[in-house]
Amino acid sequence: MQAAQYISSKVYNLSAKEEFINDAKAGKILARKCTKCGYLHLATTYFCQNCGNRGFENVSIEGKGTVVTYTIITVPPAGYEKYTPYAWVVIKLDSADLRISGFMRNIKSPSDLPLGTKAKVSGYDELGIHIEKL
Amino acid sequence: MEKVCVIGAGSTKYGKLQDSITDIAVQASVEAIENAGIESKEIQAGYISNVFGIADKQVHLGPVIMSNLGISEVPSLSIESACGSGSVSFREAYANVAAGFYDAVLATGVEKVTHTGTEWTTTYFSYCSDFFYEGGAGASFPGLFASMARAYLAEFKATEEDLAMVAVKNHDNGFLNPKAHLRKKITIDDVMKSAVVASPLKLYDCCPFSDGASAVILCNEKFAKEHTKNYIQVVGSGRGGSPAALQGREHITTIPSTRIAAQAAYKMAGVTPKNIDFAEVHDCFTIAELVDTEDLGFFEKGKAVEAVRQGMTKLNGAIPINPSGGLKSKGHPIGATGIGQVVEVFDQLTGKAGERTVKDAKIGLTHNFGATGASCAVHIFKSV
Repeated sequence: MQAAQYISSKVYNLSAKEEFINDAKAGKILARKCTKCGYLHLATTYFCQNCGNRGFENVSIEGKGTVVTYTIITVPPAGYEKYTPYAWVVIKLDSADLRISGFMRNIKSPSDLPLGTKAKVSGYDELGIHIEKL
Repeated sequence: MEKVCVIGAGSTKYGKLQDSITDIAVQASVEAIENAGIESKEIQAGYISNVFGIADKQVHLGPVIMSNLGISEVPSLSIESACGSGSVSFREAYANVAAGFYDAVLATGVEKVTHTGTEWTTTYFSYCSDFFYEGGAGASFPGLFASMARAYLAEFKATEEDLAMVAVKNHDNGFLNPKAHLRKKITIDDVMKSAVVASPLKLYDCCPFSDGASAVILCNEKFAKEHTKNYIQVVGSGRGGSPAALQGREHITTIPSTRIAAQAAYKMAGVTPKNIDFAEVHDCFTIAELVDTEDLGFFEKGKAVEAVRQGMTKLNGAIPINPSGGLKSKGHPIGATGIGQVVEVFDQLTGKAGERTVKDAKIGLTHNFGATGASCAVHIFKSV
C-alpha cells in the first residue's frame, strides 16, 4: 500500500522543509501528489486538502511560471532594509496548478514587472524563497 | 442554546496611549461593567484577546485583569488569532454563554504596540503571516494586501483613486467618532500624494498601528432582562478559515474564510445580506473593505468599486460600512479591534452613536479577520 510505504519512510521525519528548500535551491518546487485523488499540494502539507488522504508521492516541479500579482516593498520588515525597494511576488507555475510566492530583488517600479512576466524560482536563503525574472 | 445578549460596552480612545497594556484593558473593562449596570462579582469568566502582550511586558493577561477587577477567583484565558483575535474571542465567549456554562462573562480586547516603533511593529505583524512563505520572504502586511490590491485592480478595472475613496469615506465617519485614532477628514488627493508603503498601497490606504482596549459584557437573556432594558441580542455567529498563505488561494481577490463565516452567521440569524442595516468590516487596508463587502454578499464580485463610487457605503448610503471610521480611521489595536466593532454595534443599536448614528438601524453585522483572512468571525446583532 502506497500510503503505508510513505508513512514508514517519513513519519519520523515529519518536516519536508529540508527537501523543499533543497529543491528550491535547485530551481524546483517540491509538491505532494495525493495517491488517492491526484490533488497537488506544496510539500509542506500532510493530509490531502481535497479528500483527506494521508498518502502522497513526491513530485519535483520545474519552478517556472507567470507573475500573477506582486507588491514593491518600500517600508520593509527588519532584515530587508538594504534590499529596499524589492518585490514580493506570487507566480503561477507553468506545469502544475500551484502558485508559489517569494522575494525578488531589484524591482523599483511597476514598469519593471508587468503582470504576466515569466519568472522562476531561483534559490532559497535567509531572505526566503527567491524568484527572478526569466 | 441560551439566547445571548450584549448588555454593556466600553472602550478607551484608540491611538498612541501612555498607560500600560494592563491599565488600558482594565479601563475598558470597568467602563463596560459600569455601562451594563452590573457588579464585577457577577462576571463568571473572562475572555481576553491580545496578540503582542510580550511587547509591553505582560502576557497571561487574564488573571491580571481579573485581579484588578476584584474577581481574582474568576477563570479567564487569552486568545490570539492575529488581527482577528477580538472576534474569535467574542465567539468563544458567546459559545460558552449559549451553551449555558456561564450567565455573564467579560470579553476584553487589548493591544499596546506603538512604543515599539514602525520597523518593529512591521516586523512583529509579519509574524502573523504564513512566515516561511510570506514574512520570511520580505512580505510586510501592507505588502500582502498590496498584492491582493494589484490583482483586484487588474481583474476589475479599478483604480488607485477608487481605493482612496474608501479611505476618504472612513475618515469622514471617524471624524465623528470621539474615540478614533485618526480623527481628521482627508481628500483623495491626500491619499494619492501620501508615501508609497507597498505599491500600489500608500500610507493613507493603510490603517494605523494603534494602542487601545475595548470590552463588552455578554450574558443570557434572563440575566439581561434582570439588569437592563438597554441591550442587544447576538442572533448570528459564524467562523471560517482560509489557506494561511495567499499563494494557496485560487482567487487572490476573495477571502474564503469571510464567505464561510458569513454564510454560517446569516443562516443562524435567518437573514440575508439585504437585511443588514450597517456593518463594521475589517478594512485594515482600503482594498480589504472592497473584498470584504463582496465576500459578505453586499455586492457581487468586482462590484464594490461601483458601490463606493456611488456612495452606497457612506453613513447615509444604502448599506453604511464602518460608521465608526473602521480600522482605517478609528484605528487598529489588533487584539481589541474585533471587540471594538461590537462596541460600535452596541452604541449604534442602543442610541449612543451620536452624530454618526445610522438612521433606523435594527440589525448590525461585525466582520473581523486575522492576517490576510486566514481566520475570520462574523457576528450579527439585533436591537430588542
